[in-house]
Amino acid sequence: MARVTLTVNGVARSVDAADPDTPLLWVLRDRLGLTGTKYGCGVGACGACTVHVDGAATRSCQVPLSAAAGRRVTTIEGLSNDGGHPCQLAWLAEDVAQCGYCQPGMIMEVAALFAAAERPRAGRVEAALSGHVCRCGTYGRMRRAIRRLAGEPGKGA
Amino acid sequence: MSTTRREWLRAGAALGGAALVLRVPLFGESSETAPDTTLAPNQWIRVGGDARVTAVVARSEMGQGVRTALAMILAEELDADWKSVSIVQAEPGPDYARMSTGGSGSVQGSWKPLRRAGAAAREMLVEAAARRWGVAAAECRTESGRVRHAASGRSLGYGELSAAAALLPVPKEPRLKDPASFRLVGTRVPRVDGPAIVSGQAAYGIDTRVDGMLFAAVARSPLPGGRVVRFDRAAALAIPGVRGVHELDGGIAVVADDTFSAFAGRDALAAQYDDGPGSRLDTAALWRRLDAAAEGAGRVTRREGDAAEALAAAPVRLSATFRTAFQAHATLEPGNSTARVAGGRCEIWTPTQNPQRVQKEAAALLGLSPDEVTVHVTLLGGGFGRRLDADYAVEAVAVARAAKKPVQVVWSRKDDFLRDRLHPAARVDVAGGLDASGRVTAWTHRAATFHLSMFGAFNPTEDPEGNPWGGYDFPYAVPNVAVAWSEVESPIATGAWRSVYYPANVFARECLLDELAAASRQDPLALRLALLSGPSPATVGRQVFDRAGLARVLRLAAERAGWGSPSPVRAGRRSGRGIAANVYDGSTLVAQVADVSVGASGDVVVHRIVTAVDAGQPVNLLGLEGQVESGVIWALSYALKGEITIAAGRVAETGFAEYPLLTLNEMPEIETVIVPSSSAPFGMGEMPVPAVAPAVANALFAATGRRLRRLPIRSADLA
Repeated sequence: MARVTLTVNGVARSVDAADPDTPLLWVLRDRLGLTGTKYGCGVGACGACTVHVDGAATRSCQVPLSAAAGRRVTTIEGLSNDGGHPCQLAWLAEDVAQCGYCQPGMIMEVAALFAAAERPRAGRVEAALSGHVCRCGTYGRMRRAIRRLAGEPGKGA
Repeated sequence: MSTTRREWLRAGAALGGAALVLRVPLFGESSETAPDTTLAPNQWIRVGGDARVTAVVARSEMGQGVRTALAMILAEELDADWKSVSIVQAEPGPDYARMSTGGSGSVQGSWKPLRRAGAAAREMLVEAAARRWGVAAAECRTESGRVRHAASGRSLGYGELSAAAALLPVPKEPRLKDPASFRLVGTRVPRVDGPAIVSGQAAYGIDTRVDGMLFAAVARSPLPGGRVVRFDRAAALAIPGVRGVHELDGGIAVVADDTFSAFAGRDALAAQYDDGPGSRLDTAALWRRLDAAAEGAGRVTRREGDAAEALAAAPVRLSATFRTAFQAHATLEPGNSTARVAGGRCEIWTPTQNPQRVQKEAAALLGLSPDEVTVHVTLLGGGFGRRLDADYAVEAVAVARAAKKPVQVVWSRKDDFLRDRLHPAARVDVAGGLDASGRVTAWTHRAATFHLSMFGAFNPTEDPEGNPWGGYDFPYAVPNVAVAWSEVESPIATGAWRSVYYPANVFARECLLDELAAASRQDPLALRLALLSGPSPATVGRQVFDRAGLARVLRLAAERAGWGSPSPVRAGRRSGRGIAANVYDGSTLVAQVADVSVGASGDVVVHRIVTAVDAGQPVNLLGLEGQVESGVIWALSYALKGEITIAAGRVAETGFAEYPLLTLNEMPEIETVIVPSSSAPFGMGEMPVPAVAPAVANALFAATGRRLRRLPIRSADLA
């Protein structure tokens, strides 16, 4: 039994992992009760499990717990206290979500890019989101939300 | 699909007698007992003494926006303050007898009963206010959660009236609003679940957490009739976190402290399977069955005039064979359910489109009566027809019973592909004949596809009327029509999939019309409009087609898309536009124009899809447009991206890398033109899907001169 300490949403957490290879995704969901981070494929192909590790958008299904030791992890639950992060507000303003299952991963991907560069180009953000899967096809509204965030008066889609 | 099956898919809401709505706590919602100041005139609506309005939704939310749309209908007739409305998800029971969500029927089927339910509550609140003021109810009006008496300037909030209103008789024939006075219905309302979704609080099936629960993965053969013949129990138990290994009917469950340990324990089982005779099956063998059926007699479901004779006599005639591939649902939330079996009762939390089926099948497994089984319907991370089956819920019940603990069974992505109920491949043979003036005088359409095993065993004597969808309801005025249908018993698991049988049939129909237009040097829009100038509405069997309405959406889509103007010039690429239309089950009318280009290597870019739609009275414009956007992306995925193949009896593509779906960088501009209407609303979940692929294929012909008769389209087809 390995004990791993990491910071999750600003709080230091100690996790006893039966297996230190347990992906961060399952630690968050099944041990820490943070179910906003979603399981979609387990192989880094869909992006539903995206969180921030030391500020960078990261697919949590690809991070073994041992590699998260000492890191700063932010999940969708910790993106803001009140759902008022600019990305969350832009998503609501454009009514992006349909079933919503992939959306926390999408929002975390976008939030990391906007945190890293104050005003990233919409095209760069769209390229990053093109590695995520939304089976409901909410891409057009995502595009509008991204342009809203980027302050670009895009034609939407 | 038979009428009864179609009705089952649609499952309209049944309005039972007036009954008190008991608040049923859902996971993530606070539990409260109904205070006696609550007005609860029926099972759909409650108005509390705190002025909170609760709308009970008996349909599953899978992204189509049903929780928002149904609550809007109730709130409209109640004249509620929309901000005061919250949603409670119904559970199967006497008041909610038919909760199946399918066939795009939720809004259509709920429109009348929910309007009446809201109007009844409103009349009771008005009557309570009138009595308190000693005035006639007719002198009062309602607005945003208040009853007002204009003559005296008095007003009372619904919360101040609910207790008194609750003592009044429930009106049997409440007066409904004139649609012209709607304030909420027909506007743009963001989905009610949006804030929970963007903050990670929305609870899907897989997010269910119950005290003392464990997580499980199940090893089973993906083939019908397959079984486990060998497994290493000790190796699984040696995996850290694994608590137990349980033999089930047809599988082995590994129960653990967390999902990852359950997956690891299942891997450690190293289970070996006897897949049975189905393991020799592959895609080619399945196609041989379809081809044999397509070349056989088939069952004639529609006949007008003599299509064979008219075809033979036609100076211009064309025939072609169209094929569409097997497809997966690939919901982002994989199959999962949570169950607790104890004390002669069972409780299930599941992302289902069909709670009554879950209840019935779980009860049968456990030897309980259905009322001893409680089904909590969570949010669904996509449904698209897959979750009309109950297999993944019943599996969790079996594991929970064996483990004697609450258990959540989670499918890996691979499990989800292997255990899908596939959209079956189809072959459609169509032929059309033109007279010397270029008018279509003969049409034959015959389709062969596999039966949908999700709905039961193959029944060759089932009434085929209405089939094939998209062929039987050929909407154009042609004097000689023959339609035939061949349903083949499916040896693999198949099921309902967004727009079910329409995709292949509308693809074939709308593409051959385009071929006939080209063969007679007619504009494809003009050819269709001429065929829709016949009698309208037209009736075939139980279907009624609004030909004039279909012509209207065709004109609107064409106009918005710049039909008739040259396609945009794109350096190094060949561009073209294509058009197609469909009427869905005699209801929603859709026309679509695709603007595409093709590069030298045959790479296809879809630049723009314009949709014109008449779905009757729009309930939520934002939701309606969302369904168009979603349906277009769904269709482009099956038209241009992945397909499912079968090898050794099972699905060969078991991940998103092997089964690619359309991504953000590939999506076109999507524009939607909505026809204003005050007739009762039709559905929108599936309707925008079928005409997209033929519009794209016709556009590719305009760009390249090549006819594409197989989906998905490959670059090699166009290089």
